[in-house]
Amino acid sequence: MAGLTHAADQVTFQLDWLPGGDKAPIYVGLEQGFFEEEGLDVSISQGRGSNDAMTKLATRQADIGLSDITALMMARAEGEMPVKAVYSVFSEAPHAFYTLEESGIKEVADVAGKQIATSPFTSSNLFLPLLLDINGVDEESIQLINSDPGTLAPMLLTGRTDVVISWITDHERYATNARSAGKTLHVMPWYDAGLEFYATSLIASERFLNERPDVARRFVSAYAKAIEYTWENPHEAAKAVHAVVPEVDVEMAEATIRSIRPLVYNEASDAHGLGAFDAERLATTWEWTARAQEADMDMLDPEAIVDRSFMPGATQ
Amino acid sequence: MSNLKVLFSDIGHRILPAFALLALLPLWELLCRLFDVPSFILPAPSVIAEAFMSVDMSRWMVHLWATLRVALLGFGLSILISLPLAVLMVRSEFLTRTLFPCLVVIQSTPIVAVAPLLIVILGAGEAPRLVIACLISFFPIVVATTTGMLATPKEMLELSRSLRASPVREVWQVRLPYAVPHIFSGLKVAITLAIIGAVIAEFVAAEQGLGYFVQFSTSYFRIPQAFAALFFLSAVSLVLFKSVQLAQRLFFGWSLPSDDER
Repeated sequence: MAGLTHAADQVTFQLDWLPGGDKAPIYVGLEQGFFEEEGLDVSISQGRGSNDAMTKLATRQADIGLSDITALMMARAEGEMPVKAVYSVFSEAPHAFYTLEESGIKEVADVAGKQIATSPFTSSNLFLPLLLDINGVDEESIQLINSDPGTLAPMLLTGRTDVVISWITDHERYATNARSAGKTLHVMPWYDAGLEFYATSLIASERFLNERPDVARRFVSAYAKAIEYTWENPHEAAKAVHAVVPEVDVEMAEATIRSIRPLVYNEASDAHGLGAFDAERLATTWEWTARAQEADMDMLDPEAIVDRSFMPGATQ
Repeated sequence: MSNLKVLFSDIGHRILPAFALLALLPLWELLCRLFDVPSFILPAPSVIAEAFMSVDMSRWMVHLWATLRVALLGFGLSILISLPLAVLMVRSEFLTRTLFPCLVVIQSTPIVAVAPLLIVILGAGEAPRLVIACLISFFPIVVATTTGMLATPKEMLELSRSLRASPVREVWQVRLPYAVPHIFSGLKVAITLAIIGAVIAEFVAAEQGLGYFVQFSTSYFRIPQAFAALFFLSAVSLVLFKSVQLAQRLFFGWSLPSDDER
């Protein structure tokens, strides 16, 4: 960048998936100059899932990025993964059931005996048995079909399946398709049915945190500012995503930002503050993850995977 | 036949395949409308055309260039690797016996499975995409070139040996010319594979390119847009395929059957 008197610190940010409204804060940070104010020169690298994002952080291809914290917990429980969570972005998990209004399926308990379609690689599949269990649904009664993510919405709309498992970050995409087919969508987030835990978080490589702690701290503070701006100004935030990635259209991104607000602002964030990892909720997150994976609870101390010292206003 | 007649039959010859393809479009359109197929399952050609127009031409060019660049560089790289390899294998039975199984193993490894590994090793830049495009396209060239050189008539080889031609001259002046038609059939297969390789690589890691755009569009359930990109990709493959044919006609016209320039 010309005109700067001193070189800005370079930071490579790793997305966990393709760009969209749910990834708005990083683009807001760029467009609104939050990173520039902190003397950071941020470049964004796209990802193909949480595990891909973690691998890229661990192999020094990026410094800081996004990943589902349950994926990080499993990776750390299984072996070495030099990555830590520093800030909670979604303090509720985005897993959800989608049905059509006319199906008569109103709540999680109603899925008993139904056909449920899911994509083979989503982490939601792991939590499904727990969700069914705590809602008194016999797992044997449901018929689970695996299908490519791109086929799920068409399957639901054409009546080939009663229920689809997807993240609520996809709400707007499903809704648009449903409207074009003249149908009304019904969404049942799993957090309303008892599955409450942390999800998408800012994660960073330990190398980055150890070697450039000051840069990391400035990044997290700018990112936190961008999160607040995003949900205060969904339209401007959507425009910021579109400005960097022209393929993302503004309306869709804005609708996504509005529809996922409960993932960011909820009882947990009210009680513990935006971005915070509450020890008890973190332990619950690991408990659910371990149960879902049928892993031993002792395999991981959930406190070992977070570092709270990079939070804005944290005592150093 | 008058010159004009020849010209018309020639044009007919060339345009016929295009017409055959175009004739399918109204049928497709009709079936979509008749059965009221929703566009998120199979969009009608008119919907796809609309989706194509709705994307800025400059964005198309950005994606096209990204894919084309990787495919062409990968293709070039695979030529550079496979021609010498084929020569070595023709010259030495030992190398054929040792190298060939390795090549088959490389060829039968699912690229999608090794792609993430390549990205970890080579970084997230253009290098892994190049390697993927090259890996997928070099095999047909090696096989075609080797077959072509081995098909050289025995008498020609004996003649060249009786004239005390050096091994280099034997390869350069006898075997390779005989292999030219084979090499070009290998190149034609390889160029379309190089495009497929570039697209696969973009599915795994890319920020732009037609493959990335297809993945992006489907993940947003914009199926007509994905189809538009696929059409664009097929058109590009067709043009590249034709370019290889043209190169053969321009530089190795003698290698084509004399009665017909197919």
